[in-house]
Amino acid sequence: MSRLALSLRINGETHEVLTAPHRTLLDVLRDDLGLTGTKENCLEAECGVCTVLLDGRAVNACILLAAQCRGRDIVTIEGLASGGELHPLQRAFVERGAVQCGYCIPGMILSAKAYLEECPEASEDGIREALAGNLCRCTGYQKITEAVATAARELYGGRTTQ
Amino acid sequence: MSTGPRVVGQRLPRLDAPGKVTGTAVYAADFALPGMLHGKVLRSREAHARLLGVDAARARTLPGVRAVITAADVPDVRYGGALKDETVFARDKVRYVGQPVAAVAATTREAAEAALAAIDVAYEPLPAVFDVEAALAPGAPLIHEAWPTYTAIPILHREGNVCNRARIVAGDVERGFVEADRVFEHRFRTGMVHQGYTEPRAAVAVWDTSGQVTVWSNTQLPFEIQNTLAEILALPPSKIRVIVPGIGGGFGGKLRVGVEHFAALLARRAGRPVKIVTTCEEELTAAYPRQSTRVELKTGVTRDGRITAKAGRIWFDTGAFAGSGPGVASVATLVLAGPYRIPNLLIEGYAVYTNKTNCGSFRAPSGPQANFAVESQMDMIADALGLDPLDFRLKNIVREGDEGPTGQVLTAVGLEECLRRAAAAIGWADRRPTADRGKGLACGWWTTTGGSSGVYVKLNPDGTVALNTGAAEIGTAALTGAAQVLAEDLGVDLADISVVSADTFATPFDFGAQGSRTAFAVGNACRAAAADLRRQLCALAAAQWGVAAETLTVRDKHVVGDGKRIALVELARLSQASGGGLIAHGTFIAPPTAYDAKRVEAHVYPAFHSPSFHAHAVDLSVDRETGEVTLHRYVVAQDVGFAMNPTYIEGQIEGGVAQGLGQALSEEIVYEGGRVLNPNLTDYKMPTTLDLPRVESILVEHPSPVGPYGAKGVGEPPNIEPPAAVANAVAAAVGVRVTTLPITAEKVALALSGEATP
Repeated sequence: MSRLALSLRINGETHEVLTAPHRTLLDVLRDDLGLTGTKENCLEAECGVCTVLLDGRAVNACILLAAQCRGRDIVTIEGLASGGELHPLQRAFVERGAVQCGYCIPGMILSAKAYLEECPEASEDGIREALAGNLCRCTGYQKITEAVATAARELYGGRTTQ
Repeated sequence: MSTGPRVVGQRLPRLDAPGKVTGTAVYAADFALPGMLHGKVLRSREAHARLLGVDAARARTLPGVRAVITAADVPDVRYGGALKDETVFARDKVRYVGQPVAAVAATTREAAEAALAAIDVAYEPLPAVFDVEAALAPGAPLIHEAWPTYTAIPILHREGNVCNRARIVAGDVERGFVEADRVFEHRFRTGMVHQGYTEPRAAVAVWDTSGQVTVWSNTQLPFEIQNTLAEILALPPSKIRVIVPGIGGGFGGKLRVGVEHFAALLARRAGRPVKIVTTCEEELTAAYPRQSTRVELKTGVTRDGRITAKAGRIWFDTGAFAGSGPGVASVATLVLAGPYRIPNLLIEGYAVYTNKTNCGSFRAPSGPQANFAVESQMDMIADALGLDPLDFRLKNIVREGDEGPTGQVLTAVGLEECLRRAAAAIGWADRRPTADRGKGLACGWWTTTGGSSGVYVKLNPDGTVALNTGAAEIGTAALTGAAQVLAEDLGVDLADISVVSADTFATPFDFGAQGSRTAFAVGNACRAAAADLRRQLCALAAAQWGVAAETLTVRDKHVVGDGKRIALVELARLSQASGGGLIAHGTFIAPPTAYDAKRVEAHVYPAFHSPSFHAHAVDLSVDRETGEVTLHRYVVAQDVGFAMNPTYIEGQIEGGVAQGLGQALSEEIVYEGGRVLNPNLTDYKMPTTLDLPRVESILVEHPSPVGPYGAKGVGEPPNIEPPAAVANAVAAAVGVRVTTLPITAEKVALALSGEATP
């Protein structure tokens, strides 16, 4: 089987990978690079647990070919905390009790990050819309929504409503 | 100096949260070993057929294929819970679309899939039954012709396609109907629904040269899986180590063996580690979903609204194997009786085989189905009698010291408080505030499952404490709750506790993360272990000081007394220098709940232990054109006994309500002719952020006399009442009564247009 040599920029670091052309970004992240913080479930872009940021936008890594990501900027959950300090979104998820089983949480946090960067003046409706592609079966989304609003206030200050 | 609790009852962040938000927490689906193969399962394409042959010769020759196994390659063993009717692979016939027929392991997932496609299976179709009515009809084909020869717990009442009929009989139900002024009869149906955990079932297995297998799995019950694998592999349990790395949700769907046995069998054949992860399609066609049901209720009531008698029957479509059916049919009878004082009862729960996937347990098994019928009927009766539904309930609910349906004496009964507070919070006085808007109430009761728990508690060299428990953390924060108990009783901070869990070789036995029991039972075991460790600490300090240990106490990370104090870190050093360190063992078994054995037959679960009580209220609108329901507010008042950590109890309530609203409004695994029509997450519609209202939680505290600090089971109850509350609110809003779940927009619209609901 033919292999493609890809250069992928993930969490600010360049990785050279050799992969079959049909393999997804999710396959490469989890199986080749050991970045298992990006989760795997439906593989049909319905549940959102595999959400990563591609050039700042939240995308489902399960339906994205690794080859489509050449030369683009990929951020996974492993790329958020810096120097042992949790990102404000991560800290808010911990402190607001937004985490239960946690399997959806990496995807939730990345969807929230993409949303807040686009709409710093987050509203509850906006947060809910931004997270509508991320299924969670534990929390009912309430504390997740509150955590994102909390992080928005910390990151961008001011007027965010819950 | 006496102070209030420092750690229990506090809103402290869960211990495992940092790993989960950084992606470093390892789940079973993430777990990998060097040289690992990928396993896949070939599943039946027929609902009921004689299996004429399975030819795997071609598959075995394909590149990358390292093992192919069929029924011919595995021990001929029937396993199961209360009833042992399952086999690893179909043998003489297949009984549902999705039943395992063969399994393969290969170097890549693609190679494994190619191998599945190369296995030829020859079927001869047989007449099939796809619902309870067909399964119970005279002359119906038997799903298990050899059912009388199967091993089962002796109390089950079995006959043909009925794999249990549990019964409660109290008083004289016919006399009770004679005493009634009105007798109401209604029928209900509920659909099959999936737990919807976001992590698929997953397992990795590897054998060592001594013939021991280690399985990393996302099971809720590692010790149960150890025993099941021992049966399937025909090995002693001491040869089977089950470790739970982390679980992405369970909700009862990961109680029983899922893919662990396939991974173990393939790994033995291949001589290499094997990993299996289920696909979304496998989850929705061949997992352990909640049974669909039909229910008949007949209730006699006096003119002033007192219930004199109730006769109820609930039939569970348990699928091709018993699964949890015999037990769920038993539990259902307690839910169907309801939290009401009813002197005359005849309640029956049936588990019935059909040619569908094997159903199992889903958060409060039987609860939502039976409660939907009971609480819908309560409103229907209240409406017919011209009574307010809240008043009608208050006239009949159980209170302190009353008897439950099987004669158990009820204590710590917070139901009236729950009902009154939920009603007040939703604004019950204004039940129909505007056109097409209405409010609904539903209440219920549930158990805190018993079973035993053991913990080891070890003092670390730095004076912190390791909690070693056989229970798995499935996401509820129950082990953080147990750690709060331990920290409280040892005078340390929650941050001083680290948790090691769920390894059948390294951790003490635990009955498992099921039945709302983990924080309750492990918390109690922690209380016992903390008492033991405090005794050891005081004895060590007493020996140092030459004083009586009874004069010393443990407080604020020190042993104090006799005018002296010594830090735990110093005692840890002393204990390691002198006696191999300090370790304490704590155990707990819930005391049995007395009941009247004469009232039950074939009953696996005759009383609710430390029962919890709850009331839900919802405010919604209905679009008369489309039938679509919009949820405005949702209130839960739940008697939790003692709120160990209010944040995570709210989390259980908010999440349980979300799951319950999915079952109420949109979720159903739809079968046609034995095939699932919607085996994907587009068409199996679980609620998203946009589908749910804010949930307001009211934590009512009537302490359980046997719970840790009074806590009762919390996790399952919030899932019970949403379908009934929604049905009652829809009826209040637009005057139509939908008696089947889910209450889809289509059903509401048809009912509004005067047509029969589908």
